[in-house]
Amino acid sequence: MVAACSSMPDSQQSDARDPYEPSNRKIFAFNMGVDTYVLEPVADSYRSNVSDAGRRAVDNHLAWASLPSTALNSSLQGNFENAALATIHFAINGLTLGFADLTEDPGAIEKRDFGQTLAFAKVPEGDYLMVPFLGPHSGRSLAGRVVDTITNPLSLIDAGAVGSSVRTAQVPASAVAFRANNFDRLNDVKYNSLDAYARTRSLYYQLRDGRLNDQPKGSQTPSATDDQFDAFFDELAK
Amino acid sequence: MIFFRSKLIIFAPLRLAVQHCATYFMALIVLLGVCLQTNLADDSTKQIDAANQLVAHMIEDVEIILAQDADDRSARTTKITKLFDRYFDLATIAKFSAGPYWRAADAAEQAAYQTAMRDVIIGTVVRNFDQLSGLKFTETGSQAKGPQLVLVNGKFTHKTDKQPPIAVGWRVVMRDDGPPLILDVEIENISMLVTQKQENIAIIRQNAGNFAAVIDAMQQRIASQN
Repeated sequence: MVAACSSMPDSQQSDARDPYEPSNRKIFAFNMGVDTYVLEPVADSYRSNVSDAGRRAVDNHLAWASLPSTALNSSLQGNFENAALATIHFAINGLTLGFADLTEDPGAIEKRDFGQTLAFAKVPEGDYLMVPFLGPHSGRSLAGRVVDTITNPLSLIDAGAVGSSVRTAQVPASAVAFRANNFDRLNDVKYNSLDAYARTRSLYYQLRDGRLNDQPKGSQTPSATDDQFDAFFDELAK
Repeated sequence: MIFFRSKLIIFAPLRLAVQHCATYFMALIVLLGVCLQTNLADDSTKQIDAANQLVAHMIEDVEIILAQDADDRSARTTKITKLFDRYFDLATIAKFSAGPYWRAADAAEQAAYQTAMRDVIIGTVVRNFDQLSGLKFTETGSQAKGPQLVLVNGKFTHKTDKQPPIAVGWRVVMRDDGPPLILDVEIENISMLVTQKQENIAIIRQNAGNFAAVIDAMQQRIASQN
C-alpha cells in the first residue's frame, strides 16, 4: 500500500524493476538503522563470543530446519533427487535436531524455496520490494516466503513449549547467524558503497538469478550477466 | 522427337559433368567449412589458453603480494595498483561501468571518471585483499563467451578445508591492440563489474542523468577512505 502510493515516473527510476524506489529507500534506511543498532553489534558479539564449533552447530540446525521446505519445493519443481536427499538428510540429522551434521556431504543439497517454485511455474517476478526487517525481495519471492513459512512441516508438529521456543528463536537466530557469517562483506556494502541501496538491489537480483537459473558454483550456462556483456560488446562493435 | 532425343544424348555428358562439378563444389564447401571450423576452434583454444595463463600469472603475483607487507597499507596499495594496471582492462571497465552515459560524456568527464573508477576499484581490492589469504585457486574449466571474452572458471578453497569452496570466474577480454586483460571478477554468480555498473547508473539517474554526479560520489568516497 505504501509502495503503491509512492511509485515514480520511469524517467526517474534508477532501475525499471524498482518502481517504488522512494519508499523502498526509506525502508532500506530503517533496516540499516536496525542493523546498526541491533543486528551488527549482536552479530559482532556472536562472532567474538561463540566458538567456531558452536556457530557451526547453529548453522547446521538452521540449515536442517529448512530441509522440509527444500524437499517439498524440490518435489514441486520436479527435482526428485534433491527432494530425496533433503528428506534423507533431514531424517539422519534429526537425531541431533540438526545441530550436528551426520551426513557426508551437506553441500550436495540445493536449497529450494516456494519463490523458486513460483518462478518454475512461470509466475511473473513482480516489482522489487524492500521489506522492513526482512530486506530485499521481489513480489514473487515475498509471496514464496510467506507460503514457505505457512507450509513448513516443522510448524505443524506440536512439540510443546520447548519446540515452540526453538521455532520462535529460529527467525532471529537466522538473522544473526547470516549477519555474522557475512560480517565483513555486508559491512563493505554498508560502509563503502557509493550507493548502498543500489548495490544491495544489484546483489539481490544477481544472487536470485543464479539460484533461479540453477547456477550454483561455476555453472557454464549463460546468465543475465553474460547477456549484459554480450549487449555491451555488440554496442561497442557498432 | 528425334531432335529431342539427340539433344538428350548430346546433353547427357554435360549433365554428368555438371553433376560432378556440383558434387566437387559441395565437397569443397564442406571442406572449407571444416577448415574454418577447425580454425575457429584453434582460435578459441588459443584464446582460452591465453586467458588461463593470464589468470595463473596474476594469481602467482597475488600470492607474492600476500606474503609481503601485511601491515604496510601504503606499500600494499602501491603493489596492488601495479597489479591492477598490469592485468586489468581499465578502459573497457570504465566504458562498461558507465553504461549508456559513457557516450554522452565529454572527454574530460570520461578521463575523470576513468581515474576515479580506478581508485575506487584499487581501494576495494586493498580493503579486502587479506580475505584472499589462505586461499588456493584451482581452475575448473574455461569457456569462450563470444569472440572477445573468455570466462576462466575456478574455485578458491581454504588450505585448511575449514570453509566451503568459493566459485570464482574471471572474464578475460581479447584485445586487437594488445595482450588479453581481465575485465571482470565473478564471485558466487555475482559480477563485480555489473554490480558497480548498476550502482553507478543508479547514482546518475538519481541525479537526473548528470554524469558528473557519479564522479563526485567516487571522489568523495576515495577521499573519505584516505
